[in-house]
Amino acid sequence: MFEHLNPRSPIPLYEQIANRVRLAVASGELRPAAALPSVRQLATELRVNPATVVQAYRDLEGEGFVEMRQGAGTFVREVAPQARARERARQAAALVREMLAQAGRLGVSRQELQAAVTEEIGVGAP
Amino acid sequence: MTNAIEIERLCYRTGRTFEIKDLDLHVPQGAIYGFLGPNGCGKTTTIRLMLGLLRPLAGRITLLGSAVPHDVAAILARVGFVPEQPHLDPMLTVRETLAFHAAFYPTWDRPWAERLRVQFALPDDQLFGRLSKGQKGKLMMLVALAQRPELLVLDEPTDGLDPVVRRDVLSALLEYVSQRQATVFISSHLVHELERFCDWIGVMDDGRLIIEVPMERLKNGIKRLRIGGTPATADNAPFVLLAREPANGTGETWLVREWEPHMATYFDGPGVSLHEVIDLDLEEGFVELLRSFRSPRP
Amino acid sequence: MFRVMLYSQWKWSRLIVLLGSVAGFALPLISVHGAARADSSPLQAPELLHAVQSWGVLYPVLAATLGLLVAIASWTPDHRGRHVYALVLPVPRWRYVLLRFGAGALLLAAPITAVLVGALLATSSAAIPAGLQGYPVALAVRFALAVLVAFAVFFAVSAGTARTAGIVLALIGGVMLVQVIANVARVDLDLVGKLQLLVLNWPGPLAIFTGRWMLIDV
Repeated sequence: MFEHLNPRSPIPLYEQIANRVRLAVASGELRPAAALPSVRQLATELRVNPATVVQAYRDLEGEGFVEMRQGAGTFVREVAPQARARERARQAAALVREMLAQAGRLGVSRQELQAAVTEEIGVGAP
Repeated sequence: MTNAIEIERLCYRTGRTFEIKDLDLHVPQGAIYGFLGPNGCGKTTTIRLMLGLLRPLAGRITLLGSAVPHDVAAILARVGFVPEQPHLDPMLTVRETLAFHAAFYPTWDRPWAERLRVQFALPDDQLFGRLSKGQKGKLMMLVALAQRPELLVLDEPTDGLDPVVRRDVLSALLEYVSQRQATVFISSHLVHELERFCDWIGVMDDGRLIIEVPMERLKNGIKRLRIGGTPATADNAPFVLLAREPANGTGETWLVREWEPHMATYFDGPGVSLHEVIDLDLEEGFVELLRSFRSPRP
Repeated sequence: MFRVMLYSQWKWSRLIVLLGSVAGFALPLISVHGAARADSSPLQAPELLHAVQSWGVLYPVLAATLGLLVAIASWTPDHRGRHVYALVLPVPRWRYVLLRFGAGALLLAAPITAVLVGALLATSSAAIPAGLQGYPVALAVRFALAVLVAFAVFFAVSAGTARTAGIVLALIGGVMLVQVIANVARVDLDLVGKLQLLVLNWPGPLAIFTGRWMLIDV
């Protein structure tokens, strides 16, 4: 699940991990009561600082996505559909922002971008 | 927060040139501290001085709260060391090597040593001298971990090892750190490896530590700025200017350190504008940092 | 700790110790029975003494060789590992040195015992002519001391760095130089002779090597 972790990115690793989990919860990939890998497991597997994993899990707990149970592990919480939809919207907005920034760097105008989006997605297609 | 390793004003010389001059270094307890520097800048010498293998000319070294070299033997029971070159007895087999070290370390964990041996796929009856380079590296890490130290000092532990072995070695290291709040001091020039898990970075060049900061601050703080116009001086800038050079067309490219997003307001002024802030990964940042330290400042 | 040190020492010196033990066992037997005639007539005193004395020269040689080789074997793993692992082990340096020395000395008990057994066997199995006596235990004890002295000396030298070896050589060179200058200036100074007397004659440490090694004597 965490294959795309990029240590070179300016986004801190804990944020990347937390983001991936948020997305998985929002899209339903991770169901409620699913267990996340333990701090030890994930740190070992990804070869990252255990403190990084702890921070990611704590952030997620603060946002209400997961619950850290002493001795048992970290589990996904029941997240209301509105919350999940909000998260998906947030992710979509982030994607678009990045696309716009990229387009700006490449010199692609808004209209050209709009045309490309329409083309790729397909007008009215599901 | 106490420091696991503290070095103050360390000086050391072999021959006429000073190899280490006025080095200050602090490793907080529980941190994973990456020690970076170009080849020949004195990293291995610093480590040897740190562990009492060499005597400094001047300076104070404190390891896990005790002074080096006075009480070295007692402190070394709590320190796991992996040197650059294979150092174990070539005539002992893997099993005998583990038995040898078990006798010297009261905190040796026999069952875990065996589990690691199996995990690393090290044959019990193979002589250390006959192991491949990767296997030697794995055994040295095993020996350092199995004693369950409070502090791990690793001098280029993955240097020259193939990617699979590197992963195995680092995974075992991080697994240990997850279980126990150990401090890790790891010297390497494989910057991308350190980038994944270090939370502190110390950069050494020419016998001196030029930077010692939390990893995130270094990584995210070094930026390349594309600037329109030609600002006069950067004396009262909130960031640290490392280098500046004219860019093609009008404008300049600045290399800065300690950048934070709100500092963009510095460029609000007539005739000057900030076009772009370019992220540098740790390796690029490290290279640029060294370059700027070696050439005169603007 | 001593046990693992002894084991690692054994791995490095087992060949030397085994060969030395064989040689040590054989030497007294050869020196006595080497004097026997082909016609198995009783041993004659002069021939026996001559045989024992000439073969006896090999005892100090064997002792010095064993001392040297076991001392080198003691320090080889450290030299190979550039002394790192010894300096990183959580024992004070002096204790580490003592462990190594003890291990080497204990292993040397094997050839020493071999000499004792061989000597006892040689003197009891031969018909010693009247007027002569066997001194197997005295010989073995002397051999033991010689081995340990040689081991101690070579151990100390091997333990040192290139710098200490250099200092030792410089000292020897200095003594030589002083002697040469004295000779040229016609000053009556026999440094080398005096040193030799000091070291090789009793109670000097190396006196044990000089003189005759007689298993059987008057």
